[in-house]
Amino acid sequence: MSDPQMVMDESLQRVEPQESAVGERGERLAASSIEMKGLHKRFGNDAVALNGVDLTIRAGEFFTLLGPSGCGKTTLLRILAGLEEADDGTLIIGGKDVTEEPPHRRSVNTVFQSYALFPHLSVRENLAFGLKMRGVGAQEREAKVAEVANLIQLGELVDRRIDQLSGGQRQRIALARALVCEPDVLLLDEPLSALDAGLRSQLQVELLRVQKRLGMTFVFVTHDQQEAMVMSDRIAVLNGGNIQQIGSPREIYETPINVFVARFMGHDNLYAITEREGCRVTTPVGTLELEGGSEGEFVLIRPETLDLKLGHVAGTNHLPGRITERLYRGSHAEYRIAIGATSLQATVNNRGHHLPDVGDEVTLVVSSEDLVTLSE
Amino acid sequence: MSKTTAVIGRRQAIVRETRHLLFTVTPGAAWIFIFLVLPSAYLMSVAFMSNGPYGLPEMPLSLTSFQQLAGQGFLGWSPGNLLTLMRSLWQTVLSTVLVVLVAYPIAYYISQADIRWRPIMLLAVVVPSWTNQVIRTFGWMNLLAPGTPLAELAEAMGMIAPNMGLYPSNFAVTLGLVYNFLPFMVLPLYAAFEKLNFALVEAARDLYASPFKAFWHAVFPQTLPGLLAGVVLVAIPAFGMYVIPELLGGGKGMMLGNLVANQFAGSANWPLGAAGAILMLIATFIGLYAMRRIGKRLGGGEEVVI
Amino acid sequence: MKRSIFKKGLRGFWWLTIGFLYLPLIVVMLFSFNASNSAASFTGISLRWYRRLLGNDAILSALSNSLLLAVISSLVALVIGCLIGYGMYRHRHRKLGWLIVLIYLPIVLPDIVFGISEMTFFVKINELTGLLSPGLSTMIIAHVTFQIPFVALIVYSRFVGLDPSLFEAAKDLYATPRQRVQFFMLPTLKPALISAFFLSFTLSLDDFVISFFTSGPESATLPIYIWSAIRKGVTPEINAIATLMMMAVAIAAIASLWLSRRRTVS
Repeated sequence: MSDPQMVMDESLQRVEPQESAVGERGERLAASSIEMKGLHKRFGNDAVALNGVDLTIRAGEFFTLLGPSGCGKTTLLRILAGLEEADDGTLIIGGKDVTEEPPHRRSVNTVFQSYALFPHLSVRENLAFGLKMRGVGAQEREAKVAEVANLIQLGELVDRRIDQLSGGQRQRIALARALVCEPDVLLLDEPLSALDAGLRSQLQVELLRVQKRLGMTFVFVTHDQQEAMVMSDRIAVLNGGNIQQIGSPREIYETPINVFVARFMGHDNLYAITEREGCRVTTPVGTLELEGGSEGEFVLIRPETLDLKLGHVAGTNHLPGRITERLYRGSHAEYRIAIGATSLQATVNNRGHHLPDVGDEVTLVVSSEDLVTLSE
Repeated sequence: MSKTTAVIGRRQAIVRETRHLLFTVTPGAAWIFIFLVLPSAYLMSVAFMSNGPYGLPEMPLSLTSFQQLAGQGFLGWSPGNLLTLMRSLWQTVLSTVLVVLVAYPIAYYISQADIRWRPIMLLAVVVPSWTNQVIRTFGWMNLLAPGTPLAELAEAMGMIAPNMGLYPSNFAVTLGLVYNFLPFMVLPLYAAFEKLNFALVEAARDLYASPFKAFWHAVFPQTLPGLLAGVVLVAIPAFGMYVIPELLGGGKGMMLGNLVANQFAGSANWPLGAAGAILMLIATFIGLYAMRRIGKRLGGGEEVVI
Repeated sequence: MKRSIFKKGLRGFWWLTIGFLYLPLIVVMLFSFNASNSAASFTGISLRWYRRLLGNDAILSALSNSLLLAVISSLVALVIGCLIGYGMYRHRHRKLGWLIVLIYLPIVLPDIVFGISEMTFFVKINELTGLLSPGLSTMIIAHVTFQIPFVALIVYSRFVGLDPSLFEAAKDLYATPRQRVQFFMLPTLKPALISAFFLSFTLSLDDFVISFFTSGPESATLPIYIWSAIRKGVTPEINAIATLMMMAVAIAAIASLWLSRRRTVS
């Protein structure tokens, strides 16, 4: 297995599709883009699952739909797969309008959350299922199955029955079963959620490796923002059937556009602006100096952008407070600091020098460019 | 525009699903409707007709059949039919109670056995019921006939007259019913014991001194849903039983099933038979309904009624 | 001390009950080999009653009627019940109360009511149209009616036990509706269909009351033949047929158990 750190570094740059592991069909690797226009879906009479979603996913992109359960991300994925019909709107995959196409006529494959491997078939027969249904000859099937089993490094398992596989193995077989059909788009519905943490991060790396190598368009659904950030080229955050924000992991994490996205990405230091005078704003933690041109009713202070100074020091964007809690995490420490009636979180890297302790009076320092304003 | 296309798309989906539902369900539903619902409805209507010359139903409508069922004949009132009804009820209650008394310890014993043996033990209880009911009853006729060890034992104890078998008799019918329905009670009771929460039993051991109290407060309530399911499975078919009283009961052991069946054979009187069938149906549905109510109250919910 | 007495008592009761359950069957088997025709005393081993069976045309025709009835009705019920079981699964989120009532009706209806309903109905239809005179055809109709619910419920519970995503995976992997049936549903259902067939078959063989009321003069099945033989006077021949029927059921049961065991092991 390749070094995880390297793969992650790779993932930060956009990798152009180079060589195919599945067949030598260069033309397919100009992978397909997806265009969604005004997708609406409701279940029953009141539950709105999608409320007019417009979204374009680029060819060859690892795109993640992120949101809490019930936000519509799974419905959107199922509409892409054709397993659910949109009430309204258009869906174009690879330049072709597939809104009305049933799933078996779409060049789209899904890795299901439960894997959905056929229990009556062996691993080999599971892998070959899609090809067989498409009328691919036995010899070609055999070759492709061998190739894909090789790709996911499970060649020795092909003659097992499904109930002889571990969770991680099942996950990889489910991935391979979808990949072997060489779809225009691969959909992944929380494919790692059933695995334990260690296996999960290992398979995250593996999934990325496969995606980069094939240059295929991946649409990934998850509710785990950490996973989304590690994996994705771009992320769409959904809530209540609406897209809240689309952007790269850094954009979503560092400059969330609203309170929902910020909270969902794990931010706690959100303060309502009570008074505004040019670039100077008043918040419950004190007066802050923002960069010019920033708008919005809330200000976000990311814990890792704060500097901690012992004692009370005056200055712009200097916030005096008292440490009420310290969580020592080895590489860093997390602090909760009381300021007036409210409190603030700060993360301090452990560089070996003195780590302030509970009860210490400190001053938090943040630079204007690290402050983000956002709307409700 | 988009609103209407949405509505049309949705309606098309509903039409498609409904067509699928009809395609899959219609053959079976129609079969049961035509060959069971209609016939039963016809049978019920027969009960409200007059008795014709060959026992066949005739117009005009009348309630004579129900009066006859209650014992009214052209020679005046006779208790025969009512006795048969009472006997059916009594046999049902008695055999159900006896089945419970046998099945309860058996189901418990199986649930406490080594897990490898349990399926085999259950199978051992069920296998005899795979044999045809007529044959099983015939087996008892062999065992209870005059001159057999069982009959001679009963004779020696002065329970029966010399050279008489143990059948035909009400005793033989009860025995046959218990034999026939035992597996139907063991299975649901076993399922209940299998699910038994032994933490509660341990707790009860702590709280109550006597084992009987522990059983009554911790074990019995947990097996009640299974017990009720078993009672439904035993009592309803027992009340309508035909084969066992016919072979083991003779004239004095007759039950409602025989009374009904006779009206469609030799001494034909279809309306009277149909009236008896209605009575049986009413008893069946009252039984099902009561069990459902009790089951719901116990929180067993749907699974109590199979 | 007390506990061990309790346990010993239970074990004794268990073996008593097993004896009670098997005694009548063992007696039937034993006396089928009896040299004399006495039902009370065993005088020696002989196969004379079995030899008599072979020469008895009525028994042979009852046997063939039984088998024909069981096979045909089971096959018809398998197709109809399978469809309805799938329909119940696929549309399980709809309100199908009426369907559930309809399906449970044949199960809860007392046999005797079931039988005479069919009989009166067939007589009436025959009177009106001349069709459906009592015989094998009316018996098949009646048997299918009580077999459908069992097949439907077995198929339904098999589907309910499956991961619903499997149906979607088949669609997703390009299977057309026909291919889904051929390559996914039927193979997945195979064990359930086999056991449904076996169950229908044994239910049919085992049935007496409903057959009795729907049969015609030419269509007596084995249970009906045995019944009338008993009514005419107990003959040892019945022991021999009964023993053969028990053997057949035991073999079928062991075979189906062995099949299911092998399925779960392999």
